[in-house]
Amino acid sequence: MNAFVDDYEKISKRQRTLETNDPLDRLIALVNTAKDKIHDDPNSVQTALTGLGKMVKSVSSSIQDDHKELQSSLSKFTKALDKKYSCDMMAAMNPRAFDNKEKLLQKTIALHFIRQGNFTIGDAFAKEAGLDVPDELRHQFMDMFDIVAAMKTDDLEPALQWAKLHRPELEKRGSSLEFKLHRQRFLQLLKQKKDKLAIEYAQTHFGYFGFRHTAEISRLMCSVLFMGRLMTSPYADLLTPGTAADIQHMFTRDFCSLIGLSCESPLYLSVTVGTQALPAMIKMASIMKAKKAEWSQESEMAVESNLTDDTKFHSIFVCPVSKEQATDDNPPMMMVCGHVICKESLQKLCRGSQNLRFKCPYCPQESMASQAKNVYF
Amino acid sequence: MNKITNHDQLLQLEHPFVKIPLEKFKSSLKVSQKHIEKEISTLTNTVSDISKKSQQGDMNPAEVEKALEAIVHRLSNLKRRLKDTRAEESLYSQRTKVRLQHLQEFTTIPTLDSDGFGRWSRVRLNRILVDYMLREGFRETAALLAKSEGIEEMVDIELFVQSRKVEQALQRFSCTECLQWCHENKSNLKKIKSTLEFSLREQEFIELVRKRQTQEAIAYARKHLIVWQETHMREIKKVMGLLAFPPSTNCQPYKGLYDASRWKKLIARFRADNFALQCFTPEPILNVTLQAGLSALKTPMCYIDEHRNVNCPVCDGETLGALATDLPLSHHLNSTIVCRISGQIMNEDNLPMVLPNGYVYSYNALMEMASMNNGKATCPRTGAVYDISQIKKVFIS
Ligand SMILES: [Zn+2]
Ligand SMILES: [Zn+2]
Repeated sequence: MNAFVDDYEKISKRQRTLETNDPLDRLIALVNTAKDKIHDDPNSVQTALTGLGKMVKSVSSSIQDDHKELQSSLSKFTKALDKKYSCDMMAAMNPRAFDNKEKLLQKTIALHFIRQGNFTIGDAFAKEAGLDVPDELRHQFMDMFDIVAAMKTDDLEPALQWAKLHRPELEKRGSSLEFKLHRQRFLQLLKQKKDKLAIEYAQTHFGYFGFRHTAEISRLMCSVLFMGRLMTSPYADLLTPGTAADIQHMFTRDFCSLIGLSCESPLYLSVTVGTQALPAMIKMASIMKAKKAEWSQESEMAVESNLTDDTKFHSIFVCPVSKEQATDDNPPMMMVCGHVICKESLQKLCRGSQNLRFKCPYCPQESMASQAKNVYF
Repeated sequence: MNKITNHDQLLQLEHPFVKIPLEKFKSSLKVSQKHIEKEISTLTNTVSDISKKSQQGDMNPAEVEKALEAIVHRLSNLKRRLKDTRAEESLYSQRTKVRLQHLQEFTTIPTLDSDGFGRWSRVRLNRILVDYMLREGFRETAALLAKSEGIEEMVDIELFVQSRKVEQALQRFSCTECLQWCHENKSNLKKIKSTLEFSLREQEFIELVRKRQTQEAIAYARKHLIVWQETHMREIKKVMGLLAFPPSTNCQPYKGLYDASRWKKLIARFRADNFALQCFTPEPILNVTLQAGLSALKTPMCYIDEHRNVNCPVCDGETLGALATDLPLSHHLNSTIVCRISGQIMNEDNLPMVLPNGYVYSYNALMEMASMNNGKATCPRTGAVYDISQIKKVFIS
C-alpha cells in the first residue's frame, strides 16, 4: 500500500499543476501577447503571427505531452491497483439470503447506533426507515453512557451507586466490579497524595469485601507507605494507565450482561468477523465456481474461518478420530483415561461390544465402552 | 495477541473504495483533455488561417486583432465551461488520495486486539453503513452520519443524486430520464454489454400500445426498435405481437409484457448497470461482510435455547439470528471448548476439567468459584455442588 500512496502522490501533484497552471490560461496568454504586440506596432503583424504560430505549436505539444503522461501514469496506477486488490467478493455471498428481511437488517442497524450511545443517528435512522426503537432499551443505554461519561472524567460515584444497587445480581455472576470501583477510588485519592482520606475511604468501604479480596486489600493498604513514589515502588502496577479503561470496560460488560445483552454491538462484531473471514471465503468460492459447484447453496461452508478467541461463543467438539462434529445422536464420550471421542468412533473401537477392552488411540490405557461417560461442554 | 499477517489480503475488500473516486477522476480528466485537445487543433488552424489571410492582404492589422480577440473569447468560454469538470477532477483526486491514506493507515496496525484496529474498524463500519443507507434511499441519515463522523470524503453521497432522479422517474413510469442517462453513458454501457436501452425502448413501445395508440407505436418501433434488429430480433417480434392483444389479455407472453412489474425490473437493471459503471459492488458491502461474518459465527447451537450465548450475534433470534437463517453454518476442523462460566476458551493455559456429573468447565473458573465458596464448586447448569478435589482433567485433542 505504501508504494501506491507514493505513486499516487506524484499523480496528484500533476493534477494540482493542471489546476494552478491551466493549459487554457497558457494559450490565452500567448494569443493576448501577440494581440498586444500587433496593437502597439501594426507593422509587426507578420512577425507576431509567425511567432504566435510557432509558440502555439510548441505550447500545444507540451500540453499534449502533459496530458499523455498524466493519462498513462493514471492507467498504470489503476492496472497495478486492480491487479493487487481486485477480487470477486460477490462470489462469496448469496444475494437472495436477506430477501424479505430488510426490516430485520434495519432494526439491527438502529439498535447498533443506540448501543453505541449515538442516539441522534439511531433516532434519525429509525424515523427514516419507519422503525420503532423500544424506549426501555434506549433509556437503559442512556443510563449506561451517562455513567461511562462520568467515569471518563474520573467520577466513579454514579458507577458505584449502580454497582451497589445491583450487588446481588453482580455477585451471582461472580463479578467483582463494586470492589474494583472502590479500589480505583482509593487509588485516585492516593495519587492525589490524600493518604488520610484514602485510609478513611478504605475503612468505610473495604470491610464488606474483606472475605473475598483479603490479599488485594492488604496490598492496597501497604501501598500507602509508598505514597508519592509509587512509580518506583513494588506497587507501580497500581498506577498503570490502562486500569481506568479496563474498569470502564468491566462496567459496560457487567451492565450489558445484567440487561441480557452482549457487551459489543452484534453488528460491529459480525461485520468485523466477516471482513476477516472473507478473503478465505472468496478464494474458496472462486475455486468452487471453477468447479461449477454452487457456493451459497451449501448448508455448511467449505472453509474454516479462523476466529479469534473473543469471537468464539460456542463449544464445538470435533471427534479426533472421525473428524466429525459431535451431535445429539453422536455425543462426545470420555474414556477412563480422560480422552474424549465421539460415540460412533467409540463403537467402532470396541467393535460394538460394550465389554471388550480396547486401547485408547491417544494413550496406552485400555478400557471398555461401558466405562465411557457422556461429557457436556 | 492476534497478529495481522496479511494486510493486503484484508484490503482486497476495499478495492471499490479507492476505485470509485479514481474512475471518476479519470473520466472527468478525459472529458477536459478531449475538449482542450480539440480546441488546440482549432486554434492552430485559426492562427495559420489568420496568418495566411493577413499575408495575402485579406486582413488588416485591426482585423487580425479582432480575430485574435475572438480566439481569446473562445478559449475563455471553454475555460468557463470546463470549470465544473475541473472541480470534479480536483474533488475525486483528493478523495482517492484520502482513501489510499486511510488504507495505508490500516497496514500500520499490528494486531486485531489493538486500539488502532478497533478505531479503524469502526470507521469502516460507519462508511459501509452510509453506503447501505444511500443505496436504500435513507439519504438524510446517511448525510448526518457522514457529517457527524467526519467521513464525507470516504463516502459517495453525491453519486447517488443523479441515480435517484432516474429511479424516481422510473417509479413514475417515465423512461425519459433513464434514456438520457443511457445516452450520456453510451460508450461505457456498450463496454459492459448493457441492453438496458433496448428494454427502455421496449417499455415505451408497450406503453403506447397500452394506450391503443397503434400508429404512434408503429412509428416508434420503426424509429427505436428496428435499430436493434441484429441482436434483438426475437424480442422485437415478441413485443410487436402485442399490437394484436388488448391490455386485458390473459394470453402469455403478452400478459407479462403488459404487467407493471416490468417497471420494477427496469429499476433493478438500471441500478445494476449504474453500479457496474461506477465500480460499486452490485450488493452493499454491508450485506457482503455481514453475511460472511454471520456464516463464520453460525453454529447449530445458536438456535437451541439452552446453548444460547448472549454475546453471540447469531444467537439473537430477533435480529441477526433471523437474518442468518438462510446462510450456511460455519465449518470446523478443530474443537473449540468455551467455558460456560467464564466465556473463556479452554486450552493448555486454562485446562478443561470435568465434574463428576460429566459437565466440563475451565480450571480457572472452577478454582475462582471454589476459592470464594470454601472449596466448593457449583455446576451452573445442573445446580450440583462438588468439592473441588472431585474435578478431573479431560483431554480434548
Ligand atoms: Zn487415552
Ligand atoms: Zn450463537
